[in-house]
Amino acid sequence: MAVSASDIRSALSLPSSSTLVQSTTPAPRKSQGQITKKPEGISRELYALIGPSAPSLVAHLAKPRLKQKPNFGSGGKVKWEWRPFRNAGRTDSLQLGHWVKAADDPGAEYPFTKYNVQSQSYTYSQEEYTRFLEDKDWTKDETDHLFNVVREYDTRWYVVHDRYEPPPDGPTRSLEDLKDRYYSVCRKLIRNRPWTGDEASKAQLLNSYQFDKDRERMRKDYIASLEDRTPEEIAEEEALFIELKRLEQNERKFKKERDELLRTLLGIDSGLPDIVAEEDGLSALSAEGFKKRKKNANEIEIPSTPSNIISLGPPPPKRAHSAKSAAYDAQHCILRVEPPASSTTKITHTPVHLRSFKLPAPKAALLPKVTQALTELGINPTRLVMPTRENCTRLESLIEATTALIDTKKVVDRVEQDIRVLRVRLGRASEGAEEDGKEGTPMEVDGGAGAGADVDADADADAEGEVDGRAQSILSTRSGRGRKQVRYSSQILSMPI
Amino acid sequence: MADRVRVRGVTIHRPIIYGNTATVLTPAERETSHYQDHTHRWTVAVRSAPSAPDSDIVGGADDLGYFIKRVTFKLHDTYPNPTRNIDKPPFEVSETGWGEFEIQIRITYVAESGEKATTLYHHLKLHPWSIAFSLPNASAVPPEPEIPSPENAAKLGPVHSWQYDEIVFTDPFQNFLTLLTTHPPTPLPKTSVNKKPIPFHSCNPASLEASLKGGVPEFTSAMEKDEADRLEEAKGKIIKEQEKWRGILIEREKELERLQKLLASKE
Repeated sequence: MAVSASDIRSALSLPSSSTLVQSTTPAPRKSQGQITKKPEGISRELYALIGPSAPSLVAHLAKPRLKQKPNFGSGGKVKWEWRPFRNAGRTDSLQLGHWVKAADDPGAEYPFTKYNVQSQSYTYSQEEYTRFLEDKDWTKDETDHLFNVVREYDTRWYVVHDRYEPPPDGPTRSLEDLKDRYYSVCRKLIRNRPWTGDEASKAQLLNSYQFDKDRERMRKDYIASLEDRTPEEIAEEEALFIELKRLEQNERKFKKERDELLRTLLGIDSGLPDIVAEEDGLSALSAEGFKKRKKNANEIEIPSTPSNIISLGPPPPKRAHSAKSAAYDAQHCILRVEPPASSTTKITHTPVHLRSFKLPAPKAALLPKVTQALTELGINPTRLVMPTRENCTRLESLIEATTALIDTKKVVDRVEQDIRVLRVRLGRASEGAEEDGKEGTPMEVDGGAGAGADVDADADADAEGEVDGRAQSILSTRSGRGRKQVRYSSQILSMPI
Repeated sequence: MADRVRVRGVTIHRPIIYGNTATVLTPAERETSHYQDHTHRWTVAVRSAPSAPDSDIVGGADDLGYFIKRVTFKLHDTYPNPTRNIDKPPFEVSETGWGEFEIQIRITYVAESGEKATTLYHHLKLHPWSIAFSLPNASAVPPEPEIPSPENAAKLGPVHSWQYDEIVFTDPFQNFLTLLTTHPPTPLPKTSVNKKPIPFHSCNPASLEASLKGGVPEFTSAMEKDEADRLEEAKGKIIKEQEKWRGILIEREKELERLQKLLASKE
């Protein structure tokens, strides 16, 4: 028969059981107290195993609940409607339609309009061509044709190259030739045309038109050759590369061993740098330590290239010097220019002067026109309020730009003159031919004649019977203009065409 | 003698102003004056461009004596001793008079500079600036500026006429360069600290308003920037026009070519 402890106690009437019972009950309660906290998401036993450590718990809890379908946020339904729209980038008024969310702003612009970017195309005038775009390999016609094709095909070079037709007796042009000519023309135009804004933006724009023909050709050949390698060649190259790496590694190992040996043998006399300078990372970071280390490293490794050391010495101190001296110069109003290299010519000394003495003045021939144009803009070219160096350079470029403008206007007048003369000759050449088709030109013929010689005017006036009255009045106005061969209006800047 | 070597490639300049102020003589002063027909008291001066703080003269923050030895003002011949030599700063001459005339100013530099004297001219301004003051090379004859009566003139306050300029030394001697660098010029203030008006200049018609408000004017670097802006704006306009005309030109040239071809085909 199983005899329990309590039976024995009651039999012996021992009171100790109560104390024993009391001590044990808190213990089970405490352990139960631990367990009463229910771990969530994972089973109780697992929780007991892991313990309350956060990372693994979180990782476990963060497991995606793959049973449910993910809700993409549009719990509700979205209404779509068919709306017509216009693309602002189109020149015609084509109206198309597309599906748009009903909630979308109806007045909003078509969002893809802004991607319709036109590239900057350059055109040049005859004078600009004769002045700085001449080239011995390229005739003007060819250059014109090239520019037309480029503009039409939006500088997509492969298409341009395909559609480009060289003149019948001209050389065949490769893609690089076309690009080279186009970019060199653009660069020359940028450089020679007056430019708003500062020099930096001009330099940036110039940079964007950089093109080096030989380098491009070499690069393309290189890529092509890379493509054309046979598998054996590729394998060979790989093998060579691996060997090279291995050799370098060996070299480094040998050098290290040699240095170690030298150091142990000769100690301080070995001529090697201190271990501290080499191994201490902090000193290597500081500029001085770095410079010294590099210098020393160079000295040991490549004694045959002393130029390395020289190049390292001056540049860092010079940079610091120029930043400080720029401030110094500005404070003392000093300007430093490169003294001209030719020291053989006797350098005459520019005497002291007031800056306003040396204000830039326009060239004599165009002086009255330039001053007139500038006064229209409210600038007096002979005096400046504050003639500082920068303002004087600004005035100079302004005068340059104005001179260029007046030149252009002169050329326009000349060309118009030629046009008028040609029209006269055309009119006369086709006088015997159809009359109907040329209704438009008789008017201009009269005008052109008036500009040319008055004798012709009379003859032509007689020929046109029914439009006599009007012809007369046109003649009178036109011939008036013609007598003054070169006509400038009093208001230069708003000259009517 | 090593000092007499020129430092090549260095250009150093100093900003100065020159001009005059003029006030109307009060009737009381005119009574006591030796010359009954003098109507104004004026001072012509050559000073440094920035103004000293809390001063009631235009410019003069720096003492220019370190590189200017002497300034000679040649007044009108009707003045006794018309050649006035000023050998020490402040380089100015004060006088009374009734008429405006051209004053020749000759600046002689210290011996270390080894430079000859420079001459400049200043038109003495007594009567207040008026709106009718048009640009010097306008085609029409500028209308007579209305000379206000003495009471009105007195009310308008002193008249200022100043011109900013910079004296430029190229390739200075070494010792002169060190002399100059030991006296760096005070930079012009961005804008007037004491809200002084900007001086009037015929090239900047907008400054007329400011000058009429009265008060002693002050040169600021804002003026320089303002002029730079005006120049840039003008240049922008010109370039826009230029592009427009270039477009027209190219069009016309095409037309010309077309006509030429047409003509050639007919002949």
